[in-house]
Amino acid sequence: MIFEENATLSEKLQILSDAAKYDVACTSSGVDRKSKKGELGATSAPGICHAFAADGRCVSLLKILFTNECIYNCRYCINRVSNDVPRATFTPEEVCELTMEFYRRNYIEGLFLSSGIVQSPDYTMELICKTLHDLRVVHRFNGYIHCKTIPGASSELIEQVGWYADRMSVNLELPTEEGLKKLAPNKSRRNILMPMRQIQSGMAESRELLGMKGGNRSAFWHTQKRMGRDMPSDRLVSSAYKQSMISADKAAGNKASGLSDVISDGTKDVIIKNDGNGIEDVNINSNKKLNTTGIYIPDSGKRNTGLTQWRHVDTSRGFVPAGQSTQMIIGATGESDYQILSVTEALYKKFDLKRVFYSAFVNVNNDSALDINGGKPPLKREHRLYQADWLLRYYGFEAGEILSENRPFFNMYLDPKCDWALSHLENFPVEINTADYNTLLRVPGIGMKSAGRIIGARKTGNVDFEMLKAMGVVMKRAVYFITCNGHMMYDFLKVEEDYITRSLMAGEQGVMDAFGESVTYKQLTLFDDFQLGSAE
Amino acid sequence: MKSLRIYQCEDSVDGIFSAIYDAGISGYGHEYIRIQPVVNGQSSELELFADYIEVEISEKKVDSVLKAIREKISYEAYTYVMRVVISSEPDRADVIYQFITYGFTIGAKITEAMQLDCVRRMFTINRNVNNEINRFVEILRFKEVQKEPSLLLAVMEPKHSILPMVTEHFADRFNPEWFIIYDKTHHEASFHNPDGRWEIRILTKDEEEGINKLNEVEEEYSGLWKVFFDTIAVEERKSHERQRNMIPIYLRKNMPEFE
Repeated sequence: MIFEENATLSEKLQILSDAAKYDVACTSSGVDRKSKKGELGATSAPGICHAFAADGRCVSLLKILFTNECIYNCRYCINRVSNDVPRATFTPEEVCELTMEFYRRNYIEGLFLSSGIVQSPDYTMELICKTLHDLRVVHRFNGYIHCKTIPGASSELIEQVGWYADRMSVNLELPTEEGLKKLAPNKSRRNILMPMRQIQSGMAESRELLGMKGGNRSAFWHTQKRMGRDMPSDRLVSSAYKQSMISADKAAGNKASGLSDVISDGTKDVIIKNDGNGIEDVNINSNKKLNTTGIYIPDSGKRNTGLTQWRHVDTSRGFVPAGQSTQMIIGATGESDYQILSVTEALYKKFDLKRVFYSAFVNVNNDSALDINGGKPPLKREHRLYQADWLLRYYGFEAGEILSENRPFFNMYLDPKCDWALSHLENFPVEINTADYNTLLRVPGIGMKSAGRIIGARKTGNVDFEMLKAMGVVMKRAVYFITCNGHMMYDFLKVEEDYITRSLMAGEQGVMDAFGESVTYKQLTLFDDFQLGSAE
Repeated sequence: MKSLRIYQCEDSVDGIFSAIYDAGISGYGHEYIRIQPVVNGQSSELELFADYIEVEISEKKVDSVLKAIREKISYEAYTYVMRVVISSEPDRADVIYQFITYGFTIGAKITEAMQLDCVRRMFTINRNVNNEINRFVEILRFKEVQKEPSLLLAVMEPKHSILPMVTEHFADRFNPEWFIIYDKTHHEASFHNPDGRWEIRILTKDEEEGINKLNEVEEEYSGLWKVFFDTIAVEERKSHERQRNMIPIYLRKNMPEFE
């Protein structure tokens, strides 16, 4: 191992951002927080990108590792112990300095801190925790912080970090347990899902007792409703009630009760009612296994999973207010897209994740056993996964509608929404002037914003094609699937599989070369296996 | 036949709202009214069969129009109008006038009534201005041009007069800082104090030169930022085309990572 003992700040920054660059989640979204007097920074719920790197990816946060030393030996990772790469370690002070000075110049929206594992998971997590503490408490930084959870770290440390961070993430690393065993022998699925579960229940507790804290309330309700969950009663959510509970508990000096005890002792009726309504998924002790996805709800054992430190920390930001995310590597192991998408769906439904990120595998260690993509990162596949991910989160689709056991791979040529529409032509054309919001959302070329605008404009009269253009509907996709006042945009348009396929594909050089101008929908769907051809 | 009436006003927010006030209370008939901001005392081509009316600016007229929009239409319509009026679009005064006139008739629904030409135009301009505000919130770069007390300076060249909105954003998150944001296009700058007060001033030639001089300072942290920015891209995914789509070349001035 090469140690850079006397590295300058610039050299360390170079080594430790180089080591962090394969991490994908660089978003600063999920929480609106105004500034506080005398503190630097604020956050914005949609997130703010500040720059775009040479690969076109957005740079929102100062994405660095605390150290790239690591005792683990994951096969896909550039920082694994057996690699001969330059190593460096920041001090907490250096991370704070870079964050503060970059932030003041508006280079970044905040910090994204991850780390290799030195000595032990706990030792590493403590270093991270110390850095975040200094940044919030000593330097009074109020901007965005995204922090990686180190699998295997103690629940106390994870909770402490959660009070400082806006978003936390535990990397799932690989979509299946077998893949993880093969490529990351030092990690286990259990050690990854345990902290995920802890953060999830901590967030739920914080939300109920401290309020939403700048999170997107309506989006939260929307998701909860869509997942079929029961809402806590208004009595629990009212802030006066929460405050009285907290101060009563503080005054009594009740050492034994964390915030979690307050809920179950004081409002037993609510808890019991929720248990009967599908919330048992959130229950930390449940031990169900989901066969299709291989994600279980881990048994909590004796670990403490409630929030216990709220009396000693600044609760004004709430606990992980921007929610948690995860990421997995795509194309290093042999999963199908359907498997990956099902895992994603389970993560959203069972773990309340805010985002799942996909990282096209880059073979940094030139491992020939992992070379299943012909040496190139599967970028197109990653792109399709993100498109499908949006359909799950915002468009009301389920994984089983987009892909299935029989059709486990994405169509290389058509985006998932067009592909779905073409195989469900019985639902089309949709009449713009009468269809409801959810039906409009399923039309290719219509997004959430334009669907909302269509509904809005219908209050003052009929909507025509000219207006749709102005509203931002992508007409070159939408025309085949819609009517305005009973008419399609042009008389010659037909709602017919091969006709639409040919029209959509006209000018797509790859398709023309492979199938010619008389391409049919069937041809495109037969050759949709990403393993067969290169779509790059 | 009725002849066209053209209200000529100063090319400013106050000028436009004063003209809208005068036009509105004239009772002349909306389709025969145009509002024409006059840039630097030069009016564009004159219409032959039109009456020209010069508008006098008054704070009372401006307040009365803004209050009416908020109370008789909606707060959303008001924010719409405020963003369109700071745009550099030559037809903005006319469009706002029509928008308000229809708004008084159909109320809050006006912001969604895409059937109307003026609403579609308002929608487009509003979106462009919004996009530009968001853009500069992202890519504005500050420099520490003076230490003890520390003073931050940012230079921008936007198309629309978005300095107030951009300053508002930074006044919140940079509340403990002294900072200046200099709008080179419109020759104005905002000055922010750590006590939370800030003001916008049109700059004199000398002041502009002074600010340009301050901006020549070389900084350590912009070098560190460049190191980070160059390292964070993944070689195997490099695509300058994608990068250009996300951040076009013309926006890259005043950004240290592209110097």
